[in-house]
Amino acid sequence: MRKENKQGRITRRGLLTGLLTGWATVSAIPVVSVLLRFLTPTASSAPAVESIELPDYGDIVKDSAKVVRFGKQPAIVIHTPAGQYKAFMARCTHLGCVVKYEGGEEVPRLHCNCHGSIFDLNGKNISGPAPRPLDPLRVNIKGESLVISTATRA
Amino acid sequence: MLINVISWIEERLPVQSIKTFFIKKNVPRHRHSIWYYFGGMTLLFFVVQIVTGILLTFYYTPTPEKAHESVMYIVNEVPYGWLIRSLHAWSANLMIGAMFIHMFSAFLMVAYRKPRELLWVSGALLMFVVLGFGFTGYLLPWDTMAYFATLIGTEVPATMPVIGDWGVSLLKGSEEVGAETLTRMYSIHTVVLPLVSLLLVSFHLGLNQLYGASVPVGTETPRKPIPFFPNFLYRDLLSWTLGLGILIALATILPSGLGEKADPLASAPLGIKPEWYFLPLYQSLRMAPAEVFSLSGDFIVNLLVAIGCSVWLAIPFLDRKASAGRKSLPFMVLGIVLILYLITTILLAYVLP
Repeated sequence: MRKENKQGRITRRGLLTGLLTGWATVSAIPVVSVLLRFLTPTASSAPAVESIELPDYGDIVKDSAKVVRFGKQPAIVIHTPAGQYKAFMARCTHLGCVVKYEGGEEVPRLHCNCHGSIFDLNGKNISGPAPRPLDPLRVNIKGESLVISTATRA
Repeated sequence: MLINVISWIEERLPVQSIKTFFIKKNVPRHRHSIWYYFGGMTLLFFVVQIVTGILLTFYYTPTPEKAHESVMYIVNEVPYGWLIRSLHAWSANLMIGAMFIHMFSAFLMVAYRKPRELLWVSGALLMFVVLGFGFTGYLLPWDTMAYFATLIGTEVPATMPVIGDWGVSLLKGSEEVGAETLTRMYSIHTVVLPLVSLLLVSFHLGLNQLYGASVPVGTETPRKPIPFFPNFLYRDLLSWTLGLGILIALATILPSGLGEKADPLASAPLGIKPEWYFLPLYQSLRMAPAEVFSLSGDFIVNLLVAIGCSVWLAIPFLDRKASAGRKSLPFMVLGIVLILYLITTILLAYVLP
């Protein structure tokens, strides 16, 4: 469609089409922005969990591990063959599956069944597609309980 | 009375032109004609999906507390519930299988050449929609496999720069795979994708009606084409009877199972694998090294998949020789290599531990 006439001036139709296109574009902006805001979940308003207490940590026998809830996420508490307690966030750093403790006769390690990533007992990624170590957690024994807290907390 | 009704309708609807539109289509006959049946076969399973899917929504409850129980209820208590669910699961697999055969045969016969470019584009879009159906439907039974498959699938956009984390939260609807994820998947599976697919299928079939089936480049058509209506439709009916027979046999002899209810604290089960049509992606992710030139392997795999999908969608516009009615060697090689890669990765995923 010609937007200009022979004298190079904007035609009535050209002007109206331009106005209509502009109006449609301007109207679409709030619609799209409301839609995107609506679909994007808001961050949880609950305060982030910084530590949990495990009174029944004695159930975790040597050379085994237990997955517990740390806030909304799973954490893995390990009782190493050497008798130490260690804890990590249990989500594999690759695509988020919960890792599994493998001990017994082999060198103890954490294994992800989804794509085969392997972590050592320091949480370091030693093979497979995992891009970085597991997020470590701090472990303290306080009275009868094992206290697990985020590593950043003093 | 009936005649009155018919003439009443004929006065108000363009019956004659509708009739002409449907009757004018012919189907060519040649040695590759067999491939023409797979589009109709895909359509048959799509219709089965709509019917069985609607039936399942009457009993299914999309919440983490009740989803697994409601599927158990459908399977164990609802009369023929196990059959309807099993038909839905098997028909999904058969639909995807028929769709891939239809798509690759259309590719190898260069059916995407002028004037059928938009047939190809709408078909390729339908493939993405169908894979989306597969992904979103997989979570709904809320068993262990479903939970972890969705956990992994929703993390895939995380490797994208800038919008990755936003993409993940958009899919999950929350920080974790949970109630919000389940309702999102349910809504996409039962409302969004059905609407989109109905539009695309109508467009795809309308164009097919307009242009008819494409004769492969360089193929002789010694015999007279047959009218689609009713001659080819009768043949379609035969193939549909066969398809339905296979579907019912599979659904009754191998009814789909249901795993344990999903437990977010459980470790991922050993040997966890996605459905066969996602195995090429799964196997590629498994084979990719953690890092290549300081880029993550996953990022590279996802980038290649995204580029591959865009190229696939744009094939009719990239293959210049096709519009001149000639086969182009590079595109044939590309298609065959792609088919071989898909088959190899699927087999590898089954064979490797």
